[in-house]
Amino acid sequence: MASSAELVRPHPSHVPASRVHDFDFHDDPLYAQKGDMHDAFLHLLNHAPGMFWTPRNGGHWIILEHDLVAQAMRTPEIFSSVGQAIPAMQVDIVMPPIMLDPPEHAKFRAPLNKAFSPKSMHELSVSVRALAAELIERIAADGQCDFVSAISEPLPVLIFMKLMGMPTDRLADFREWVHQTLSNTPEREIAYGKVAELMAELIDARIRQPQNDLISRLIELEIDGEKLSRELLLGYCQLLFIAGLDTVVNGMSFAIRHMARNPVIQEQLRADPARIPDAVEEMLRRYPIAMPGRRVARDVEWNGIDLRAGDLVLMAMPAAHLDPKAFPDPQRFDLDRENVTHITFGTGVHRCAGSHLARIELQILYEEWLKRIPSFHMAPDKKERFHAANVLSIDYLPLVWNV
Amino acid sequence: MKIVIDRSRCVGHARCAAIDPELYILDDDGYIAGDGFDVPEGKEASAKRGARACPERVISVVEED
Repeated sequence: MASSAELVRPHPSHVPASRVHDFDFHDDPLYAQKGDMHDAFLHLLNHAPGMFWTPRNGGHWIILEHDLVAQAMRTPEIFSSVGQAIPAMQVDIVMPPIMLDPPEHAKFRAPLNKAFSPKSMHELSVSVRALAAELIERIAADGQCDFVSAISEPLPVLIFMKLMGMPTDRLADFREWVHQTLSNTPEREIAYGKVAELMAELIDARIRQPQNDLISRLIELEIDGEKLSRELLLGYCQLLFIAGLDTVVNGMSFAIRHMARNPVIQEQLRADPARIPDAVEEMLRRYPIAMPGRRVARDVEWNGIDLRAGDLVLMAMPAAHLDPKAFPDPQRFDLDRENVTHITFGTGVHRCAGSHLARIELQILYEEWLKRIPSFHMAPDKKERFHAANVLSIDYLPLVWNV
Repeated sequence: MKIVIDRSRCVGHARCAAIDPELYILDDDGYIAGDGFDVPEGKEASAKRGARACPERVISVVEED
């Protein structure tokens, strides 16, 4: 996904040269150099200002420091969610509620809170566990697998597609589209179009015949006494498509990769499964995967930095959670870490609505995987593959174990 | 011991309830349901852990003596 030269823009006059650092979050050579995307962000923390301007992807800010990321996400009046894509989109797409600011945000957020509440998600546990067990049983006797295609892709994505009411036989197509919608290439707008077309078909089918799924519920939804416009309904569905198909996948992959490289953690959790919820939290802290964007709403001096209306800002969550000021010895996976109050799911009003589902899925995956698969390692003769965008993704994760 | 919650700043992480669902009651949307409570005897440690788990730092522990 090479970013084209026209996306490189010299820094504007309000940005001092001391705050400029060249980093392409979609495709920086540092990712390959380090062989690990999170290590690349750790490197940035040590070599770039805590908030800097990069000329890549149309030119934008990147916030690395934990304290600044948290502040920015809790200040939507400056860091707006409207038009947050980096590089900026050619076509205006409004995906409620993630691309709305308070006060409009709240009324579009409320229905998702209900649909994805801890209680509603808890009821899914049984089906998540059954699918996890089924997928793991399929490969347990092989002594090897690509963890992504065997487990971390089908498990959360199939659960989510069923919840939404999407045709599960098209998983492979949809995964390709979601990667395109997150890219910085012209394919991005085309993929958004494909998602919209698919969702329009599904919406029409549900209007004719409602089902027990999220799309049907969104069609019935009334906000301020009125049903959603077609455009907003599509925007909602586009958001859910992207949010549901490329997040937990990577949360699972990074966690299992870390365990594969650190067998002592596997042993510890097999011996004491009661520590799994703590392990899930510390792994979320160690490996955030989502990097949301924001757009500066007005000219303002913020923490001594001149910002101009329209400036785009990337919240580098992986860096924020490796910031030693917030988490001492940040690279260490530490089950007993004091104060693991990570904001991997974001902070402020846009806190990930799917976080409760994600936690349940991660917890069940750890339990079922560690129960069924003995000590596992990275395959010595194969190399994992990954790619970066607003979501850090592992595309291929070859594992081996003794059978 | 008392727990005081700035409910207006709760964004629904639900970490407090993950620590102790009997002390920290959530509403149907998964946000904190009350503004605080008197901690029953013997539940002090759990109440404190629940408060510490809040990423938004909206739960305070008030010690009385």
